Amino acid sequence: MFAFNDTSETRIKKIMAKYPEDRKVSALLPLLTLAQAQEGYVTPEAMVEIGQRLDVSPAYVESVCTFYTMYYTKPVGKYVVKFCINISCHLNGCDNLMEYAEKKLGIKEGETTPDKKFTLLKEECLAACTEAPVMQVNNKYHVNMTPEKIDQVLGSYK
Amino acid sequence: MNTATQTDTVTLTIDGKTVTVPKGTMVVDAAKTVDIEIPVFCYHEKLGPFGCCRMCLIEVEKMPKMITACTLAAGEGMVVKTTTEKVEKAQKGVLEFTLLNHPLDCPVCDKGGECPLQDNTFKFGPPDTRMEYNRFNREKATPLSPVITIDRERCIACQRCTRYSDIIEKDQALVMRNRGFQNRVSTFKDQPYDTRFSGNVIDICPVGALTNTDFRFTARTWDLTNTNTLCGHCACNCNMTLGTRLNEMKRVTTRPNDLVDDGWICDKARWGYDFTKSKNRITQPRKQGQSVGIQEACTEVAASLQKIVEAHGPSSVGFIGSGYGLNEDLYSYQKLFRTNLGTNNIDHKTYTDTPGLPVAHFDLLDVETSDLVVLIASDPTEELPILDLRLKKAMTRKGVQMIVLNDQQTLMDKYASLSLRYNVGSDGVLLAGLNTALQGQSAESDLESTTGVSSNQLQAVAEKIKSAGKVCVIYNPVALTGSSIHTLKQCLATAGGLAETTVGAMPAAPVTNSVGAMDMGVLPDVYPGGLALTDGDAIKAKWGDTAPLEKGLSALEMIEKAKSGELKALIVYRSNPVVDFPSGHEVGEALKKLDLLVVHDMMETETAKLAQIVLPSNGPGFDEGTTTNIGGRVQLRTKGLTTDNPADWKIVSMIAKELGQETAPKDVHAVTAEIAEKVTGYQEIKRSAIRKQGKNREAVASANGASASDGTHTGSGLILRVADVLFSHDKILDAESNLAHQFQPSTVHLHTSDAEQFGVKEGDEVRVTGNGHEVKAEVRISNRCNPGGLVLPKVSDEQGVMSLAEAGKAVSWVTIRK
Ligand code: SF4
Ligand code: SF4
Ligand code: FES
Ligand code: FES
Repeated sequence: MFAFNDTSETRIKKIMAKYPEDRKVSALLPLLTLAQAQEGYVTPEAMVEIGQRLDVSPAYVESVCTFYTMYYTKPVGKYVVKFCINISCHLNGCDNLMEYAEKKLGIKEGETTPDKKFTLLKEECLAACTEAPVMQVNNKYHVNMTPEKIDQVLGSYK
Repeated sequence: MNTATQTDTVTLTIDGKTVTVPKGTMVVDAAKTVDIEIPVFCYHEKLGPFGCCRMCLIEVEKMPKMITACTLAAGEGMVVKTTTEKVEKAQKGVLEFTLLNHPLDCPVCDKGGECPLQDNTFKFGPPDTRMEYNRFNREKATPLSPVITIDRERCIACQRCTRYSDIIEKDQALVMRNRGFQNRVSTFKDQPYDTRFSGNVIDICPVGALTNTDFRFTARTWDLTNTNTLCGHCACNCNMTLGTRLNEMKRVTTRPNDLVDDGWICDKARWGYDFTKSKNRITQPRKQGQSVGIQEACTEVAASLQKIVEAHGPSSVGFIGSGYGLNEDLYSYQKLFRTNLGTNNIDHKTYTDTPGLPVAHFDLLDVETSDLVVLIASDPTEELPILDLRLKKAMTRKGVQMIVLNDQQTLMDKYASLSLRYNVGSDGVLLAGLNTALQGQSAESDLESTTGVSSNQLQAVAEKIKSAGKVCVIYNPVALTGSSIHTLKQCLATAGGLAETTVGAMPAAPVTNSVGAMDMGVLPDVYPGGLALTDGDAIKAKWGDTAPLEKGLSALEMIEKAKSGELKALIVYRSNPVVDFPSGHEVGEALKKLDLLVVHDMMETETAKLAQIVLPSNGPGFDEGTTTNIGGRVQLRTKGLTTDNPADWKIVSMIAKELGQETAPKDVHAVTAEIAEKVTGYQEIKRSAIRKQGKNREAVASANGASASDGTHTGSGLILRVADVLFSHDKILDAESNLAHQFQPSTVHLHTSDAEQFGVKEGDEVRVTGNGHEVKAEVRISNRCNPGGLVLPKVSDEQGVMSLAEAGKAVSWVTIRK
């Protein structure tokens, strides 16, 4: 079972007030964000709940949710490490960086360390191409990455 | 709002050709009108513009960049070019991309031969690829549902299927998950995609990603013989193509007719034709259980009937038909009984109804062009699926409003601007109240206590009807109780008299040719074309001097008289009274008393088991003739399969011949022609006129009975409401059916307060008892009907729900035992 907590409910009230009744589906992204904030990822139960509130099918919620890579549909670690693999970062050697990170954390892309600390993901263009290659950890960008910088940055996350 | 005629047009040139089209037409469709093909993948005219595949790029003068023809509305003076070097290069580029990860499956792909991807590549594509890397591999054939296979490697992400699920079905069951080249057509948590209309995605998928599991690898499409025919299940009479090979049904696909099906069929059409090869078919005539030749059987039937008529008079024989017969078959049978045997003991139903309407008979397209639809006692989703799609379209895309009046909750409530639930069995009082409201008078004081609907609510319905410009009333006569159909017709007459409103109606009985059966006079008191018995002169002129003028027995009365021994012989045609009639459990005993029971049917039934003589009816797929749908549209059903057994009308004509009939129609067209000559309303129905899209028969005389009050219902327990279910496990959809996964358990739906009173809770196994019969069911506390009623969906023949209903009673009381 999934239920939004009181803090979320207060926020939801405010969010829903912004949209007319027949456009309430516009609240989908904010609601997904709240659900993820609460559980760490968006559970199928949360999708059902959100669909009911916004009058769309859970399948529709899932389609939107999986379109955006910042929503997770599986549990993730405390820190989500993402490497941009799009063109600029690709030309600047992101493949090697990913490989390096995989070895360092002992996991493959898409996996989470057993201590639930790090999840390693790839990402399409993070829109910081001028400073490629780019790595993102949770909400923070780290640019002009090198293996040394990976050691340094990941080391700083306790 | 919908009555404004669209005269606005625009004129443009496409590749030098001048084209004039209605405003709002997309360039891609405008091009089609002058035979210019702009290739598409994602665009589908029923889904509207989307623009995701880029296949349709064109150049337009004064526009700096190429543009997609499927999203561009034709504009005045536009100069469109579809064959420039730039366009051709773009087409090649788009196809090269589309094919990047596409597997080399054509040799083993079911879509081969009718695949837009093959065709577009052949016509517009590059001869080769520059792709040097490994293709992105994905899951091959996996089930999307028990009847649909999805090959995700073949999917080109055009989103036709997902948009269909959203826009047409209104379910959003099928969606696109993830994004980019990883996107994936799927359902929530990968549940099966098993809606009532799921199969249409197979037809609209422009590649072989979605295929019909039953048809997979059974034939190459070019080896099929395709027959343009009609669906023989419900009374929508959707157009479909029957694909056969070596005289065996292989698959059913859509055959768009905007006037009927709007381009779709339901899953019962697509996967509900296994009966054409079922082992439960009646393939041979038999007498006392022994196979006999058809001529011998017919001679025997005729001789026995004659003997009985001579000994006991014409009223000792009778005919019970059904709306499953074609017009030609039903017409022939009523003629046999009236002119060769001299009786009006002819019927096809167990509910009350009269032919014709006091207002215009609206067709399916009128649903979209009305301002208001009033849906009475009808559950289109289960009874007439394509009407369900049409209503959803009208409500969500055409700005039509809907009022629902029903004793049970249905999926249509969601689309209604006003939905009133009356108490089960109170339809007569409700409709009388509505009639009063339409006449501007105030309702009887006990209206609300009887019906659960207040007079203010009915006043609101009346007001809405009065203020709408065009109103389409759709009602299911089968779900009305007692004689309330007469009250309904009075309501229609009153509404028809309103000065500012145009009112039309659609009688929406679920069985295939219900309207045709009424029109053909398969009734004890009305000759074909709505000719009433009181019109003796007209009857004599058309049917001869010996045509009987006294009222015959209704179907239920025939059973009654069989029981009392007054009726001696009965022909039962495409009907299974032992299961489908009220008090069905007692019908068998009654039929056993007959001197002669002839069953003429397609499948082995409980009734056929009791017959001395059994005649085979070939049924849909094999038969040919006309049916009349709920919109009064007469269409041609043609055959895709052949058999040595004669057609039904032919069997009737063989019996007639033995009874001394001198003339015999030489083929089915001759019967159709005779109908045009003899049945008022059908004079324009000629094969040539109906071949393409069918044709509305003209109004059949409206024979409206007086409104007899059924009185107040007294009894104890709950009033029974039997609900139709689309995928019911009966003789047509048998245990081996492809749709067996859709069969439902037997459930009984109660209101919370009644559940408390009977001390039952959700999921309890109970016995619903009444009329000396019991039905096992699982409790659902669904508030599907008001307190005091109970809904029992008819999920199978075996369940035997109709036996709970008492023959001849307006309502039946049942009770619940643990
Ligand atoms: S499965 Fe077919 S219809 Fe659906 S998106 Fe893929 S190609 Fe289009
Ligand atoms: S809606 Fe009725 S006529 Fe149409 S395909 Fe389905 S069963 Fe056949
Ligand atoms: S390509 Fe990596 S940030 Fe744009
Ligand atoms: S058909 Fe026009 S973009 Fe797909």
